[in-house]
Amino acid sequence: MSAISQERLLQVLLAPQISEKATFVADKNEQVVFKVASDATKPEVKAAVEALFKVEVKSVQILNVKGKVKRFGKMMGRRKDWKKAFVCLKPGQEINFVAGE
Amino acid sequence: METNQESQSSLERRIDMSVPMADIDKEVEARLKRMARTVKMPGFRPGKVPMKIVEQTHGAQARSEAIGAAVEKAFVEQVREQNLRVAGYPRIEPKKSESDDVTVLEFSAVFEVYPDVVPGDLSAQSIERPQLVVGDAEVDKTLEVLRKQRTTFAAAEKAAEDGDRVVIDFTGRKDGEVFEGGQAQDFPFVLGAGSMLKDFEEAVRGLKAGEGKTFDMTFPADYHAAHLAGQTVQFEVALKRVEAPQLPEIDADFARAMGVADGDVAKLREEVKSNLEREVKRRIQAKVKEQVMEALLAAHPIEVPKALVDQEAQQLADNARRDLEARGLKAKDIPVNVGWFTEQAVRRVKLGLIMAELVKARELHAKPEQIRALVEDMAQSYEDPSELVRWYYAQPERLAQAEAVVIEDNVVAWAVAAAKTSDKAISFDELMGNAA
Repeated sequence: MSAISQERLLQVLLAPQISEKATFVADKNEQVVFKVASDATKPEVKAAVEALFKVEVKSVQILNVKGKVKRFGKMMGRRKDWKKAFVCLKPGQEINFVAGE
Repeated sequence: METNQESQSSLERRIDMSVPMADIDKEVEARLKRMARTVKMPGFRPGKVPMKIVEQTHGAQARSEAIGAAVEKAFVEQVREQNLRVAGYPRIEPKKSESDDVTVLEFSAVFEVYPDVVPGDLSAQSIERPQLVVGDAEVDKTLEVLRKQRTTFAAAEKAAEDGDRVVIDFTGRKDGEVFEGGQAQDFPFVLGAGSMLKDFEEAVRGLKAGEGKTFDMTFPADYHAAHLAGQTVQFEVALKRVEAPQLPEIDADFARAMGVADGDVAKLREEVKSNLEREVKRRIQAKVKEQVMEALLAAHPIEVPKALVDQEAQQLADNARRDLEARGLKAKDIPVNVGWFTEQAVRRVKLGLIMAELVKARELHAKPEQIRALVEDMAQSYEDPSELVRWYYAQPERLAQAEAVVIEDNVVAWAVAAAKTSDKAISFDELMGNAA
């Protein structure tokens, strides 16, 4: 894992994804949901979360979210695709976003 | 809930109170729960936001609201229990708990109460009631003033003197050059009225129509036009006309001009007389009222709550500011200081408190028929009295104004009856002069 540079780690995680589903899985599976860089890999996400939040990660699931098609008047537009990562923490671990990481 | 009241200055009160923390926590929770049902947040359907997240985002706000509500409730309860009449708003101070007890929230409220006004004894106070009967002499005097206001000027073949109106052409030169504003034609002014510079009038005085004069004149050093101040200039003046003032005769024409349709001079006198009588009555009343207010203040030495004075002063200052603004000054240029009005405000607050108490104690409330009478009386001096009466009765605020006046009159009447009253003859000029 040491192959991933410190700089890259800081670029991987974009934002926590806070939603009904995210809070639901957090309670159920001790998972945390992030928006991540669209070229991020599972090992990168795992390393980034472990480095930034000082927690132990059990596993990472990743998926691509297609951007929605939106129209503005006659113009058709398309939101950017993005990548979502479900990070499964080891039992007993927690990330508190609001209390400043 | 524990409380403890102590008196400081005669009107300031301090109440120490404490509210158990548990109550507040419960209240916060209740508030959050109520909030959670409606709160909106991106990523969640309305009302589906988990309690934990609601607490994270709205907890602080809910807590401060809960504390505020609890403090207010405790305060109001105390006030009701101890039957205090609070003036203005209380100042809430959190209190540092001596014991490290975090289960209670301690605070103290500092506020002022209304003073107890005991209807005082006015019999020691004396009030002078000015007396004046409007007679022929007063009517003549008023007519004289009216005549002067309607002075006409007629061309006369004579040397110009003070009081005459002259029409001139003039050209002023400084170093041979005509300066700005130094030239005019057919320029009329009244000699001796001070509308022109003194030296200028001096030069014109004594000239006849058709005559001219060239003279040097020095502008005063403080003249408003800076480029002329202190300068010596040469004026060339040609007098075109001299017009002597003529006072109109008191005759049918004059009466018609004053609004008496059939030109009856006797009727004009009658009208002037009744107007004067009304005016005299009003001024006498104002004088008496002023004395009554002084007497009331003297008979009731009370202390006024500072909060009320501040409020009143603020209001007076605002009024003054608005007044100036209406006259075209810019708001930020007006140097109105609330402090200027403090003295006036103290007086007004005192009088307000005393009056309110008197009205309550002596049953001096305004009766509907009194208000009606007052409004109709005020309407008398208007062209269409019934119109004004309607205007007053159309809006409650206007009627409230009339009611305030009636109450004041009632208080004055009561005070005049209660105090030592002496009648004093007063001259017409005295009455009109210093009340104006």
